[in-house]
Amino acid sequence: MFSSLTLATVPPLKLAYKNESGAAHGLEALFFRGKAMGDAGLSTDGLFMLIFWFSAFFFVLLMVLMVYWGFFKYRRRPGVPAPISPSHHPLLEIVWTVVPSSALLVIFLLGLWTYTDRHVAYADALNLNVKAWKWAWGVTYPNGAESQWKLPLDPGSTAMAPVFVVPEDTNISLTLTSQDVIHSFWIPDFRAKMDVFPNRYSAFNFRTPKLATGVDYQDHWIFCAEYCGDLHSDMAGILRVVPYADYVDITENQWATGNLSPAEIGQRVYEAKCATCHTVDGSPRIGPTWKGTFGSEVTLADGSTVLADENYIRESILEPGAKIHAGFANQMPPFQGLLSDAQLDGLIAYIKSLGVSDEPKEGEGADDAGQEEQEQPPADSGEG
Amino acid sequence: MTTMDRPIPADPSDAHHDAPYNASRGSLAADVLNWATTVDHKKIGVMYLFAVLFMFFLGGMAALAVRLELLEPVRTTVNAAGQTVITGQLFGADPENIQAGNQTYNRLFTLHGAIMVFMFIVPSIPASLGNFFLPIMIGAKDVAFPKLNLLSWYIYVIGSIFGVLSIIGGGVDTGWTFYTPYSTTTDADHWRVVFMVLAAFILGFSSILTGLNFIVTVHKLRAPGMGWFDMPLFIWGLYATSIIQVLATPVIGITLLLLVFERIFHVGIFDPGLGGDPVLYQHFFWFYSHPVVYVMILPGMGIVSELIAVHSRKHIFGYKAIAFSSLGIAGVSFLVWGHHMFTAMGTLASTLFSALTFLVAIPTAIKVFNWIATLYKGSIAINTPMLYAMAFLFLFSIGGLTGLPLGALATDLHLHDTYYVVAHFHYVMMGGTVIAFMGGLHHWWPKMFGRMYNEKWGMIGCAIVFIGFNITFISQFLLGMNGMPRRYASYVDEFQMLHQISTFGSWVLLVGFLIHLFNFIYSLIAGPKAPPNPWGGLTLEWETESPPIEHNFHHEPLIKHGPYDFELVVPPHCDAREFPLPVPAPPKPGPEVIK
Repeated sequence: MFSSLTLATVPPLKLAYKNESGAAHGLEALFFRGKAMGDAGLSTDGLFMLIFWFSAFFFVLLMVLMVYWGFFKYRRRPGVPAPISPSHHPLLEIVWTVVPSSALLVIFLLGLWTYTDRHVAYADALNLNVKAWKWAWGVTYPNGAESQWKLPLDPGSTAMAPVFVVPEDTNISLTLTSQDVIHSFWIPDFRAKMDVFPNRYSAFNFRTPKLATGVDYQDHWIFCAEYCGDLHSDMAGILRVVPYADYVDITENQWATGNLSPAEIGQRVYEAKCATCHTVDGSPRIGPTWKGTFGSEVTLADGSTVLADENYIRESILEPGAKIHAGFANQMPPFQGLLSDAQLDGLIAYIKSLGVSDEPKEGEGADDAGQEEQEQPPADSGEG
Repeated sequence: MTTMDRPIPADPSDAHHDAPYNASRGSLAADVLNWATTVDHKKIGVMYLFAVLFMFFLGGMAALAVRLELLEPVRTTVNAAGQTVITGQLFGADPENIQAGNQTYNRLFTLHGAIMVFMFIVPSIPASLGNFFLPIMIGAKDVAFPKLNLLSWYIYVIGSIFGVLSIIGGGVDTGWTFYTPYSTTTDADHWRVVFMVLAAFILGFSSILTGLNFIVTVHKLRAPGMGWFDMPLFIWGLYATSIIQVLATPVIGITLLLLVFERIFHVGIFDPGLGGDPVLYQHFFWFYSHPVVYVMILPGMGIVSELIAVHSRKHIFGYKAIAFSSLGIAGVSFLVWGHHMFTAMGTLASTLFSALTFLVAIPTAIKVFNWIATLYKGSIAINTPMLYAMAFLFLFSIGGLTGLPLGALATDLHLHDTYYVVAHFHYVMMGGTVIAFMGGLHHWWPKMFGRMYNEKWGMIGCAIVFIGFNITFISQFLLGMNGMPRRYASYVDEFQMLHQISTFGSWVLLVGFLIHLFNFIYSLIAGPKAPPNPWGGLTLEWETESPPIEHNFHHEPLIKHGPYDFELVVPPHCDAREFPLPVPAPPKPGPEVIK
């Protein structure tokens, strides 16, 4: 409907580890697939490799002794007794208590070092608000813009992941909160995750890498790491690192909502928050479709009917449990306090633009404001 | 071994007390009644054994189904005709409802976790091998409270029935951890989540009663002459386990009840929608569920101590270090629960829990060193129990060492809630506990059922299980580090190869376990009769017949040597030519005998 929002215009997925600059080699590639991003990521990998080599040394030592003694050196020979040997040895036992304990202390301290680094918020950070709900991520930029881009989770798939655009070589502070259950925000390439709770804010700090010369953007997966229900495994996002000028252009010129019509704002909110469960093509998904909904007679779960007017739609968004559409479970999270007035008006205008039910209704005139808004020109003439 | 001169007063009405404990009472009906009402710890142990093995089978089937589903990623595409097409979904695929398949998958992994944790691995070793051998190994006739012991079996069965009813009612999709507020809001109009939670609640009582019984038995019923440090290390493992069971299980009981109250009466404890705090649930839950990890592993460690000592004919190295490290692990285990929540807690709490977590690694490492040192200058038999003991050392060491990056804060932020964690705890729980259980089962099978298994097929089965296990779970370490979260019904394309390797490994594992199953069935039907002491063990269970008589011993045994004095004593019922004693060098005193 709005050409700027079609998928064709979203630059395709370019995962960082597939670039020359983000690729890892050897053991690192086997373990982590790609290079860690940011200083904290690199020191996390360094600590992991330190623990790995420490563990590998002791593991191989013990296993070589076990296999050599067990299968060869001291294998039982009929009629030959085991010689008498000590059943404890204080010095040896002290050594093998003190040496691992000291090593563990070092590992603990190194782990603490990088961890505290991550928890120091940057003074000059770009602050973004991230919201999680079943089953998607949403980001709000300082100017109120929200991501309008989505890409298929895999080529050809209808499961979509939102694209979060961030500038290169910048400190980023995310403020995370959930609208329903616990989620966990994980960017594997940055080697960190943070749980996202419904009753408080959590923070996630990271520094975006500098793009290599000739690379116009690179992508990193975002996954939900805390089990959250049916579509947990589709709850992904794409963190796209772009040059600063592109970041400004995308968030200020392409995604900002300042000069859009209400229906266009509504469509953007739909793409970002509602498309997981509602379609606009007439087919039911997790929730009822929006096509032809406005002005129709909706049958509720208790058998009664209600006219789908502005007030019904408003109530169904803010308090979804108040009236349950027959045939659908009551599983939509309430959006009370999570949408601005402009977004709510936009959604209602967008639903109207998706067609008014043909059936003549008794209740016309019940809401004069609604009649007026229907006079509005079709939304596709907008200047998007 | 000589037995005590004091005979137990003979009771002429109990002629069958000298018969094997599992001798038939004449008719099938009489046998069923006899087993169903028995207070004999051996019969209860055998009933537990078959119950937990059945649950292992059910949980294993769920695991295979989970792996099969992950062979291919689930893709929803729209074809040229405009129809929605779903590929890669094996269970519950429904193009009309793209969630249906995921819902089936989520129920399958919950089923796998809940069955394996609550119905299999927690009761597995203590309730089956522990029940059977704890009284015999300390020279007692039975546990301290035999009727309570039977009651705990029935409670276990009732709890399992609740779990099965929940599954029949459609299953639950909460994960075995029941994290709130998901668990208090999912399937809100259905009783099956409540049933599964109640199953775990009821099973807890079975666990508490077994633990209480074992503690009292160890304190009060040791044979004359058996001091605390004359006890076999398996008993020390069970004793430490019992302490955790009695202290920690009530906490999960209360937590699960609160969960039920919140679901049914909407009391706001954990759900922020009702004014509760979801992280509070995690604290409560892990306050039990972390110590319970040691309920799972300590008995396995006890078994491995027995296997290594007996099959290498060596006094266990550092007896007291192993015994005290069991208690040390049990104590520290109550202080480390927060390491499951590094991504959910503040920095100070995370720092403290990380430090305490490393503390628990030390006694565990000491145990491994002691086991390896025991092999030194031994006379090591290569048979199924010993192969399993070595497989345990191999797999459990990996399980322990891969825990280090999870205890260290920085690396845990990356690895938490990924397949790395899944692989890590399978190396500990399956590579540790299940492998030790299999080793113990082979070691004591001749004693329990009076028949030998086939050694060659036992070793082949062990080798295949070992290989299959590593294929299945090493690939999962890599998956997690690569960026694959756990509990995903599907995944992005780049993870497919590792998932396929893992699924292939699960089939190899299946083959290994089937070989053991057929070997055991063959043994029960046609296995050669077992001698009283096939391995040359020195602990008391090898002094009595195979299978033991109803009262375990004809006379109350008197302890005259330690459980591992292989260099001093020819094992009971054994030939000194087959199990020769070393000739001590005259000038030097012999090894220090722990007394």
